[in-house]
Amino acid sequence: MSDADAPRIGIIGDDVPRQLVFAAGAVPRRLLGSWHEPVTPEAAELLGTVDAAAGRVLDDLLAGRHDDLSGLVVCHDSQANLRIFYVLRILAQRGRVPFPVHLVDVPRVSANAPARCFVSRQYARLLDFCAQVTGNRTDLTSLRRAAEQERELGRALEAMRERRRAGDCTGTEALTAYLLAATEPPEVAVSAVAGAGGATAPGATRVHLTGSNHPDAEIYRALEATGDVVVVGEDHDTGDGAWLGVAADGSSIDEVTDALTDAHLARPAAATGGLAEARAGHTLRRATHTRARAAIALVREHDDAPVWDLPRQRQALRDHDIALVARTRIPSGDAAATAARESLADLRELLATAGADA
Amino acid sequence: MSRLDAARAATQHQKAWFAETARRARAGDPIALVNADAPHEVLRAFDVPYVVNQWWASIIAAKRLGPASMRKVAEAGLPDHSLQYDAMPLGAQDLPVEEQPWGGLPDPAFAIADSHGDVTHKIFEQWGRRPGTETYQLSRTGADPVPPRWWELVPREWETAFGTDRLDLLQGEIEELIGWLEERTGRRFDEDRFVEIMRLANEQAEWNRRTRELLAQARPAPVLVNDTIPAVMVPQWHRGTQWAVDAAHRLHDEVAQRIEDGVAVCPGERRRLMWIGRGLWSDLDLYQRFQEEFGAVFVWSMYLAIAADGYVRYGPDPLRALAARFVGLTDLLYVPPWSAEWYVKEARTHGVDGVVHLVADDTPGGGFISEALEAEGIPVLEIRANNADSRSTDAARIPERIADFLRDRVPARG
Ligand code: SF4
Ligand code: SF4
Repeated sequence: MSDADAPRIGIIGDDVPRQLVFAAGAVPRRLLGSWHEPVTPEAAELLGTVDAAAGRVLDDLLAGRHDDLSGLVVCHDSQANLRIFYVLRILAQRGRVPFPVHLVDVPRVSANAPARCFVSRQYARLLDFCAQVTGNRTDLTSLRRAAEQERELGRALEAMRERRRAGDCTGTEALTAYLLAATEPPEVAVSAVAGAGGATAPGATRVHLTGSNHPDAEIYRALEATGDVVVVGEDHDTGDGAWLGVAADGSSIDEVTDALTDAHLARPAAATGGLAEARAGHTLRRATHTRARAAIALVREHDDAPVWDLPRQRQALRDHDIALVARTRIPSGDAAATAARESLADLRELLATAGADA
Repeated sequence: MSRLDAARAATQHQKAWFAETARRARAGDPIALVNADAPHEVLRAFDVPYVVNQWWASIIAAKRLGPASMRKVAEAGLPDHSLQYDAMPLGAQDLPVEEQPWGGLPDPAFAIADSHGDVTHKIFEQWGRRPGTETYQLSRTGADPVPPRWWELVPREWETAFGTDRLDLLQGEIEELIGWLEERTGRRFDEDRFVEIMRLANEQAEWNRRTRELLAQARPAPVLVNDTIPAVMVPQWHRGTQWAVDAAHRLHDEVAQRIEDGVAVCPGERRRLMWIGRGLWSDLDLYQRFQEEFGAVFVWSMYLAIAADGYVRYGPDPLRALAARFVGLTDLLYVPPWSAEWYVKEARTHGVDGVVHLVADDTPGGGFISEALEAEGIPVLEIRANNADSRSTDAARIPERIADFLRDRVPARG
């Protein structure tokens, strides 16, 4: 069966090892929502107050925009996503969404033995769910083939990150490629990533992006279109932070899920699940690796976790002469692009003063 | 209507207890700050007094120190708009001690939380950055599975209720917490004491269950719904002590006595109402405002009911039982379909004629709860508070809306 006919399994969140989905003969499609469109009253009523990007994911599902999916996996990687699961569990029972819904719950508070055991069982259950959806049995051969496929994407992404670091790929191009990689079948994904390039504006300030994730590339485009900055990296989960291109080997299915568990527990802290201290360390490592001169944090309204990281991030970056500007509680709609532009003005001012100090 | 003696006694006890705890802490004994969903019983077994973050926040708010506390949070560069209630004690700790309530909370040696939501673990991380305080974080898993009729399962069949995987994780983390506390306190975990604590906690829950049953049966309602809240909640923070068992027992006997004496909140009771959602702390008189005109009495709130159904755990392994108490405690109240089924059960056993449902904006699927009640023929008034503006205007209109609801949808009993 070619990937074009393979069943699609929707993914909400970023805690799914895609290898397991591929191994069961399905293609994962991350559902991303939007930073721009308003959340409908129905989704808002069902979820309570949540980050608009999450609200949009539910809206798309309720509007039938993903009715071609054969199954849906929701990650408990944020409170908003967990709420989406609770709501969809009931709606799926009622036939409002035409596919089964499954929770992947892999906490990252600690990497101790009980956590490891729990995560490993979660991945085993995920594998069962995917196999039920596709009707295929997973075995070591399909896991190995899936690993190769996912690693090919991983290599393409690594090469793209290198181009980006060298100034041969804009942030907008890179983010667009990441979004395609997370949503499209492997061949499409790999060629999109391999083709991502585009000269960066000469003299543009290298910036690292933190804060909320980006379900689309509009903000990146608004930032880079000024010619003032180029986004050389980010630590949110739809860009450099996305769990893509990772796979594991083993001589039994259990060994593979155990290895994926270790890989998950070793991931850098995400904004929602992680602690500020770990987040700050990770932001700093990424920003120095990409030789960013400054960092911009853009945080959506009701996406509260990243705001708690800001003081520690600011401090860690400052010790390395990397300035941080932040805009928080950004509402959805046009306000997002406006906030991005305002952050640039803040940044110019900050860099000018820093220059004057020097 | 005179207040319950049990409520008055509970409040008095809490003051004396806090003073003694603060005194011990100032003398060098370690105390802990915990959130409401952390396994308190472990600390009690270590003889480490603990202050519950949410309770302390309620004291801070009652003393009108909320805004000043949140300013301190903001001064640290942290958000003053996110999970305010849980963050408030963090800010209050930076107020001058003479301004803090009840003489101030001495710096805790331990801050222990389950990392529920996106932010709780970050608030507790901040506690751990303060000198003298170390933080321990427990994982929090989602409510999956959700088998029907949880209230029948949780006392003994908790493996079915919550699933073995979730329980294994929390039990494992509680065991690690015990090791962590042994290292830091130099004390050994006293298993016999722990068994006794778990026994007392169940005894307390059994009294709460009997009290809830009395109130479900009583016609007319013998106590104000808001009066039972402190009488139930304060002993809940002392769960696992003889005092708490006695307090729950006292509340039961007082309620029984009132019923026997024919005491009625509203002798002309014609409509029995249920209040779903958090208490409306800003307007407690609201609960009585509809007695005159409509003979409408609020007979139910979640505080006694969850104390009756949510906490009992019987089983041979006390650590497993403790994990089973906390692994999904708030899910029982807030995650549909669990929440919806339970409210329906409670509405029926209490003979409720109508429900006022204050839909919280921090929980999902509130509409499923209203829908389940309506499907049983129980009319529901939903009050939604989705953003700051509508919250204030809606709050102003709540009494009117309840009056309209009673007039239009809740027929008086014969
Ligand atoms: S359930 Fe959440 S909001 Fe409520 S007390 Fe626990 S941490 Fe705080
Ligand atoms: S019916 Fe009116 S007068 Fe009678 S008890 Fe109720 S509120 Fe008081």
